[in-house]
Amino acid sequence: MNQTEILSQITDVFREILDEDALVLEASTTAQDVEDWDSLTHIVLVVGIEERFKIKFGSKEILAWKNVGEMCASVSEKL
Amino acid sequence: MSILTTVLEKIEARDPQHAAKIRENTGGLGPDYFAMANRFFQKYQRYLEHQGLTLDYGLDRYLRMHEAMIEERTQFIRSGEYSNGSFAEVEKAVYANPEVMEYHMHGLTLAQFLWFDQYERIRFFCDHMLGYFAKGSRYLEVGGGHGLYVNEALELLPLDTTVDLVDISQTSLTLAKGIVDNNRVNYHLKNIFDFSATDIYDFVTIGEVLEHVEDPVKLLGKIGDHMTDTGVCYMTTPINAPMIDHIYLFRNEDEIREMIAAAGFEVVLEKSVISEKVSSKKAALFKIPVMYAAFIRKIG
Repeated sequence: MNQTEILSQITDVFREILDEDALVLEASTTAQDVEDWDSLTHIVLVVGIEERFKIKFGSKEILAWKNVGEMCASVSEKL
Repeated sequence: MSILTTVLEKIEARDPQHAAKIRENTGGLGPDYFAMANRFFQKYQRYLEHQGLTLDYGLDRYLRMHEAMIEERTQFIRSGEYSNGSFAEVEKAVYANPEVMEYHMHGLTLAQFLWFDQYERIRFFCDHMLGYFAKGSRYLEVGGGHGLYVNEALELLPLDTTVDLVDISQTSLTLAKGIVDNNRVNYHLKNIFDFSATDIYDFVTIGEVLEHVEDPVKLLGKIGDHMTDTGVCYMTTPINAPMIDHIYLFRNEDEIREMIAAAGFEVVLEKSVISEKVSSKKAALFKIPVMYAAFIRKIG
């Protein structure tokens, strides 16, 4: 799966969990750019991504991402 | 500079995002919050200094507890359950592990004023406790933790009140005794189930304990056995709040109210506070922890 496909699937997860159909994510998108993406929803989003890709992240990993691009790279490494 | 400001600046240097969240959540709490927080943190700092430690030691442990809490929350969101289902599991992983207990208890001590829902619990207690204690003479706290509740109770209760604190953890008792530093309190390293039938109190405080046991109805029922007929109990327990030592999962307020009724109590006054500044709909959707506190009395 390439980065574009991963980003597309992560966007789906965000849209579903945050109930925001028009949400658009880019590699440079950070939590500050998305209204409901905060420290608590972050974990729900991460678990949603884990379920979508059938992977698991470590706790340090999920706190280290600075933007969606780093999140996609972590997914890519585990596929 | 106040000690609360110092604490926040030190957290900011290590975890800016977390510090920003604390500032956002506690910013509007007003002068009573700052006064109580600074008073308690000064006592905590004095305790640390008596142990040859610094505030940085406490902050290290707070941040470690926060990290452990995020791990527990991730596991909770994945499974929908707390990671520990029995007292034996928690005893092995936490209570019998001094290093874990140390960071957990120091972390919780600072959390009392860094997490605004924790402050709302102690504020609710202070605003109403004396009215329910009325003309009582015996006060008991079960699971004294870091000592904050007994510390504030001492400020409110008449000087001739007998004040007992019971805890099954030596680490907790040492911390509470060291921070409170007041010889009016009788400390008991004991299980409440070992209390004798003649140990009767006018007021019992049991804060953040019921989620640590497998059978909270049994524990609350036992508390009732040690209260006068007109006695009042102040109890708090969280909803959807995974921590390394939490066993019993309450998923909403109604489950707590059912537990209270099953233990033979009725609610006199209650308060719920969502641990983040979000709507109750969002809190339920994302399983965000909610603090529940109530003054309860025995039925009939």
